[in-house]
Amino acid sequence: MTITTQTSPLVKAEGITKIFGTGDKEMVALSGLNLEVKEGEFLSLLGPSGCGKSTALNIMGGLLRATEGTITFGGEPMTEPRRQIGMMFQQAVMFPWRTTLENVLLPVEIFGESKKEFKPKAQELLSMVGISEFENSYPWQLSGGMQQRAALARVLLHDPKLLLLDEPFGALDEFTRETMNQELLRLQNYANSTAVLVTHNITEAVFMSDRIAVMSARPGRLVGILEVPFDRPRRPELQTTNDFIKLVAEARSMLELQ
Amino acid sequence: MTLIASPPPGAKATRNHPKKESLFQRIRNGSAWITILTIVVIVVLWQIIPQTGLINRVLFPTFTDTVAAFVQLLGSSYWWGDLTKTMSAVGIAWVIGVAFGFAMGVALGTSPFVRTAITPYAIAVQALPKVVLAPLLIGWLGFGSESKIALAVIICFFPVWIDTMVGLSLPSANEFKLLQSLKASKRQVFLKLQLPTAIPLIMVGVKHALLLAFTGVIVAEILAASDGGLGTLAKEFASQLNMGMTYAVVFVVVIIAVTLVSIADVVERRVVFWSEESRARKR
Amino acid sequence: MTRTEGIAQVAISNTPKARRKKAAPYLLTIALAPFILFVWWLSTDVLKAVPPILLPTPGSVIEAFPRVVGAAGFGDQVLRTLTEIAGGFALGGAIGFLLGILLSTSSRLRSAYLPFLSALEAIPTVILAPIIIAWIGFGIEGKILQAAIACFYAVFITTLSGLGLAEPNAINLMRSLRASRWQIMFKVKVPIALPVIFGGLQLGATTAIIGAIVSEFIGATGGLGYLMLRYRSSFNTPSYWVIIFIFLAIGLVVYLTIWWLEKKFVFWRSASINRPDLEKQ
Repeated sequence: MTITTQTSPLVKAEGITKIFGTGDKEMVALSGLNLEVKEGEFLSLLGPSGCGKSTALNIMGGLLRATEGTITFGGEPMTEPRRQIGMMFQQAVMFPWRTTLENVLLPVEIFGESKKEFKPKAQELLSMVGISEFENSYPWQLSGGMQQRAALARVLLHDPKLLLLDEPFGALDEFTRETMNQELLRLQNYANSTAVLVTHNITEAVFMSDRIAVMSARPGRLVGILEVPFDRPRRPELQTTNDFIKLVAEARSMLELQ
Repeated sequence: MTLIASPPPGAKATRNHPKKESLFQRIRNGSAWITILTIVVIVVLWQIIPQTGLINRVLFPTFTDTVAAFVQLLGSSYWWGDLTKTMSAVGIAWVIGVAFGFAMGVALGTSPFVRTAITPYAIAVQALPKVVLAPLLIGWLGFGSESKIALAVIICFFPVWIDTMVGLSLPSANEFKLLQSLKASKRQVFLKLQLPTAIPLIMVGVKHALLLAFTGVIVAEILAASDGGLGTLAKEFASQLNMGMTYAVVFVVVIIAVTLVSIADVVERRVVFWSEESRARKR
Repeated sequence: MTRTEGIAQVAISNTPKARRKKAAPYLLTIALAPFILFVWWLSTDVLKAVPPILLPTPGSVIEAFPRVVGAAGFGDQVLRTLTEIAGGFALGGAIGFLLGILLSTSSRLRSAYLPFLSALEAIPTVILAPIIIAWIGFGIEGKILQAAIACFYAVFITTLSGLGLAEPNAINLMRSLRASRWQIMFKVKVPIALPVIFGGLQLGATTAIIGAIVSEFIGATGGLGYLMLRYRSSFNTPSYWVIIFIFLAIGLVVYLTIWWLEKKFVFWRSASINRPDLEKQ
């Protein structure tokens, strides 16, 4: 799938600046970010730590308010979290006093909906991410990768239009991480949702994305956008092709240019 | 085994309490005004309610009566002896208690085997409210300062003992391995790894011991009336229904206690600067 | 946190050999009990090194036991003391918990009131006993109040600091789901705080017991503390020691009850610490 430029942007950020603290302790986390996220695409925010990529993601998710600039989701201004947006974080955030299934059903509880109604869907999602036999286990009986699989099931439960992923597999080991990335691509395609991934791993960004927004640190700003033309579904072998390596090199040089 | 982790959690919990702010910060974020308003409301109620006759004015003197009593107490000199008696007993008991607790912690805490074996007894010692011994000690040692000190030592050595014992167990397996790889002797492992790792926790115990020593001395003073001390003073004024003076003595105790804790906090921060530093960086 | 984990890390493997190795220290524990008893007997009965007014012989304490427990009205005295402890603990604990929740919701309230409440950490609350007695007399209400004041702070401060322990990401997840403040409080913050709050309850229970006893010592018309003073004034030290052991039993029962409740309610904690590393899939 190549991106068609005709689709209207799902998220549109204009001149986003975020300043934390005041006076001497003032810290510009993000400076004048302009970014569009198109419907159905997989976009990565790539940059070193401190480049404000997580801040940008949190603003998109409505967890933070921008100091300056506007941000819209489906044409409407973002002021608070929305149901159509699902977020994943570096930790799986599984509550240890809930079973895996109960953790997956957490959003239902908070939205005040019927758990009974959503239970079959939650179980289906759990089997889709391959951990259905653990639905009654507690998170601490699961490995880190399995916990993130459950978190994936949780975030997909309400068919989000937009997935905001803050280095969701950053705490996992390299092998698990690669499997999980594959899994993520498969599910994003299945759920037909748009995804924004925050990462500092160049290879991962190139492998996963349709477009990469390369960012620089202090203050956080956008350096440029890199189009990734590879077909989907993407196979691990892609990573050894010359085109892939070239793109990785290009992304690296954009990062180092600053 | 995890049982022993619980004894003085209050002391531990105080470590990660919300940071104290400067007066300036508090004025700027508006909290100082809440504080001032609350104090004003309390003082006004304190002043007015006893005058309305709703409650007995003898038992609940007005704010101004209380202030007058406090000034009177500060202006007179007869209670200086009581103050000295209380404070010297607290100081002596604290030093003995800390030394005793530390020695016990080292003796029983260096070996994991002994530590585990002794744990149920430590729990029993913790579960026993040690003030039950007060009347016995007073009966045996008499009304003098010996009984006060004895009670305070028995009450205050415990947290130092436990915190030393637990602190010595804190170094991680890797840290032990590093020293083993350097062929460190047992003594070196103790001095260079276990003790430094334990010190932040020991300091918490030492601070806690100071408060408990104070409590122990006051309890003994209230129970054994003839030797004097701030506890005795408060009890005597209260039994004469001279409530203004009773409040004044209690107020003196509060001031001393808060001052002692503040000093202990400063000392603690100086001694275990690295732990403060690493905590700040983790944030 | 490090404190528990540092100790708990030891126990993971479950082979018979490892289990035997784990049990070995407790053999010493058991062996120590008769040894302590022996030292007590030796120093009092044989060597007479300890004055009997302080520590009587083991035999005399055992002899006194049925007399003390069988005395008329003994049950009422126990009940009275237990009521004081339970009442004070419930009152002080409830206020401490609620105030901890209240202050955790607003940094402004926290910086306005925390300095005053922190003073309670420092104050030996027993100094208030003469005032409380002057106010409300020798009755049971005063003892409950004294116990409540004694245990309030531990529960309050552990609740407050425990509520700050939730990971930012856990809060962010809840916020991204549009959870309300109270949903975040009771579905995330309170459960995460529970282990710390239980620590506070443990400490608070101990201090409540102390508050009740001291209060009874200073002036009471009944209760175990009152009984102790009567035994002491008649130089009946063995009977006095019987009540010390009863207090030890009360302390242990309270301790183990709270410990058991913690295991029940915070089942995930010790389990997650001792979790054997599952193989990565």
